[in-house]
Amino acid sequence: MSLVIDDVRFSYGKHLVLDGVSLEVQEGTFCALLGPNGSGKSTLTKVVAGVHRPASGGVRFRGDDVLGLGRRAHARLIGYVPQSAEVPFDLTVREAVLLGRTPHFGIGPGRADWERVDEAIGLLGLEELEGRSISQLSGGQAQRVLVARAIAQDTRVLLLDEPTSALDLRYQIETLQLVRQITRSHGITALIAIHDLNHAGRFCDQAVLLHRGRIQRAGTPAEAFDEAALADIYGLDVTVEERDGYVEVRPVVHELELQR
Amino acid sequence: MTTSLAERDAGTPPTGRGPAPARDDRPRRAGAWRPVALAAGAVVSVLAIVVAVTIGTAGVTLADVWGAILLATFGGTLQPDFSQAYSIVTELRLPRILLAFGAGAALSVAGAIMQGLLRNPLVSPFTLGVSPAAAFGAALAITLGGATTLPAWVIILSALGMALAVSAFVLSLASAKKMAVATLLLLGIAVTQLFEALTSALQFAANENTLQAIVRWTFGSVNDANWGDVQIVWIVLLLSLPLVLWFAKDLNAIAFAGDDAAKSLGVNVGPLRVGLIVVSVLLASVVVSFCGVIGFVGLVGPHIARLVIGADHRYLLPASGLAGGLLLLLADTVGRTVMAPAVIPVGIVVAFIGAPIFINLILTRKTALR
Repeated sequence: MSLVIDDVRFSYGKHLVLDGVSLEVQEGTFCALLGPNGSGKSTLTKVVAGVHRPASGGVRFRGDDVLGLGRRAHARLIGYVPQSAEVPFDLTVREAVLLGRTPHFGIGPGRADWERVDEAIGLLGLEELEGRSISQLSGGQAQRVLVARAIAQDTRVLLLDEPTSALDLRYQIETLQLVRQITRSHGITALIAIHDLNHAGRFCDQAVLLHRGRIQRAGTPAEAFDEAALADIYGLDVTVEERDGYVEVRPVVHELELQR
Repeated sequence: MTTSLAERDAGTPPTGRGPAPARDDRPRRAGAWRPVALAAGAVVSVLAIVVAVTIGTAGVTLADVWGAILLATFGGTLQPDFSQAYSIVTELRLPRILLAFGAGAALSVAGAIMQGLLRNPLVSPFTLGVSPAAAFGAALAITLGGATTLPAWVIILSALGMALAVSAFVLSLASAKKMAVATLLLLGIAVTQLFEALTSALQFAANENTLQAIVRWTFGSVNDANWGDVQIVWIVLLLSLPLVLWFAKDLNAIAFAGDDAAKSLGVNVGPLRVGLIVVSVLLASVVVSFCGVIGFVGLVGPHIARLVIGADHRYLLPASGLAGGLLLLLADTVGRTVMAPAVIPVGIVVAFIGAPIFINLILTRKTALR
């Protein structure tokens, strides 16, 4: 019972972005994709989300091929929270969350669709804002609307592409806490592309380090965060310590080099 | 309402997905006014059309309009004392009014489709170069065929053919770049510049009569309306509407969530974009070919509709049709009355009416356009 990514290759034109990525995420767990800019973590979420078609390789969920599904069937199984969303039109929060129901209804949403929308709005504490136009929301609120949309989509797998990059510390923590909670309470499998190693170490069950389109290390955060490996991947010396039961990564800054 | 307040207090950070709270009637009521507003808009439109028929230099009463419609629909004998009013209604006013309304509706629906698809409230159905291409097609026919001897349908076909051919060219170029929005917009600008230059070149070389005919065509008017034009414009409009409404929720996903998220929401973005652009281009091309270039309504109509009914395309598309139809009907009615008996082309009047409305819309928006 798991999400399996099997030897996925993908390239933008001639530029190979994913060079045979294989990985397994147990159902109901929270997995972090980590790595420097351009390492392929965003692209990998987009391949699993059905946004990009891989050149080769497969994605399976509970043993069934995911990439061969029709778009709608795929969208009922796997939800996706994009990096950011500029909306050039005035749309209420409720209408924006309703978009998550797109793969579920025909011409118009039914009662069940609105119920899911209201649940998602409640889960993210957006009740006060539900009639507000999303162009009036702060960055953190807008990001919560995107998460609510994916929750309303009611899928078994949730993919998040750096959902916390635009958020302040409090909303970063709240978002990650919420996703972790959903994996626990709803048995949803979550895969997140994220920059912050310490947040991944604190909230995720599994950490996968990508570099140049290949997986360098994978395992629990404590297993994956290896000083030598991180130094190699990021080109920066780091120290890894355990603190309050979680791994913490700190960059080593050489004073002399800075002063020169 | 008291129950929903209580629930809000009870479940501040709810985590379980248990049964939905007992406010199950509320969700449906939230948008129920929209179909009502659309129906009201349709009634207003019919009334506006009937009233517009009575307006003009030759006096025609509402009773005359009703009588003429009954007579034309169900047949009967035409009384001699009614024949003048009858022919004014059925041969002059009704065709031009229905053409004006249909053309405005078609352009406005086409504009709403384009704005949604390209995720840009500033584009119009002419963004891909439809109108300069059609104008060049017409100018070419007029130059080659002679300004006076050429039958109208040759000019129309030439304009339509050129508009569709150029749009197909733009779309095929854009599909090589995966139909990216910026590519489409830039190609549209390039094509617009090119065909405006081509038309200018024809005008530069043309003699007095030809030049006048070309310029007159580009004004955009419904002065030469006949029932054939009305039929074609309305048939294209009425066939397009159900088609685009069927895909309205997918259009919502593209417009509000963007290409990548729309794909992850189960929308076949590429084919849908091509298909809907073809519909939009077809609507715009047909109108331009029959009426000449009527700018603005395709840009303003959707904005007015969005202000009234919201951005959801399931309601926005029909509402845009009504708004655009009413706007062009108003412009044409003003155009044929303010300087009567002279008739100002509707393409000119609509800019005079539309520009202040549009400026007002921009300035009174709650949020700034980004």
